[in-house]
Amino acid sequence: MTTRARITPRGPYFWAGLLLGSYGLVGGLALSGAVNTTAALLLMVAPAGLLIPLFKSATRTVDEGGTACLARGQAQKRYVKRVMIFTSLYLLALAGMTFAEKEFVLAEPVRAVLAILPGLAIIGVFWSIGRLIVEEQDEFLRMLTIRQSLWATGFAMSAASVWGFLESADIVVHLDAYWWAVAWFFGLFVGAVANRIQYGVWGAA
Amino acid sequence: MKNRLKVLRAERNWSQQDLAGRLEVSRQSVNAIETGRYDPSLPLAFRIAKVFDMAIEDIFQSD
Repeated sequence: MTTRARITPRGPYFWAGLLLGSYGLVGGLALSGAVNTTAALLLMVAPAGLLIPLFKSATRTVDEGGTACLARGQAQKRYVKRVMIFTSLYLLALAGMTFAEKEFVLAEPVRAVLAILPGLAIIGVFWSIGRLIVEEQDEFLRMLTIRQSLWATGFAMSAASVWGFLESADIVVHLDAYWWAVAWFFGLFVGAVANRIQYGVWGAA
Repeated sequence: MKNRLKVLRAERNWSQQDLAGRLEVSRQSVNAIETGRYDPSLPLAFRIAKVFDMAIEDIFQSD
C-alpha cells in the first residue's frame, strides 16, 4: 500500500522571500567583488522568474478566499497581476539601463530614454494601486488601501522634507530622488501595520 | 455605532463567510462591522437590512 502525501503549494510570502533573498545574494556577491557588475546584472534577471510562481500563488490565495490581507475579489487579482508585470518591466529596464551605460558610450538622448524607462515602470505600479482603489467593490477593503496610501504619502513626504533640509545643511549625503518612491512603498508597509492595529486586517495593497 | 449583526447572524446560523457571500463583501468586512471597528456606508447598511429583512434602525443604533 502506498501513501500519497498531499503537497501543499507554497504561499506568496515564500516566493516573495525567495525573490528578495535571491536579490540579496546577488547584491552581496556584487558588493563583495565576487562577481563583476555585468555578471551581477545578468544574475539579477534570473530571480525575476520567481515572479511567476509568486503571481500564481498570490492568485491562488485570492481564489481560495484569502488570508487577512488578501480578500477575494477580481480587483485584487488584477492588482497583483499588474504589479507583477510592472515589477518585471522595472527590473528589465533597470538591468538594461545599467548594462548599456557600463558597456557602451551612449548619446545623451539614448541615455535619457533608457533612464526614463525604469521610472515609467514605477509609475505603472502607482497606477496599479490607483486602479485597485477605483476597481475594489468592497468598501472596507477600499478604505484600507486608501489608508495605506495616505500613510505611505505622509511617510515619504515627511522623510523627503526632513532629509532635504538635512542635505542642504550638509549633514547627510545626497540621495537620488527615486529613493522617495522606495520610501513610499515602505510607507505602504507602515500603513498595513496601522491597518492591522486599528482594524485587525493588513490591507490589500 | 452599535449593531446587532452578530446576534442576527447567530439566529440564522450563518457564519461570517455566509453573510459576506450574501452581502457580496469580504469576510473581513463583516468581521469589522460586527466588532464595531468599521461603520458601513448607507448603501451597505441598506443591503444588510435587506438581507435580514429588517429596518436599518433595528440593526444599527447610535452609541
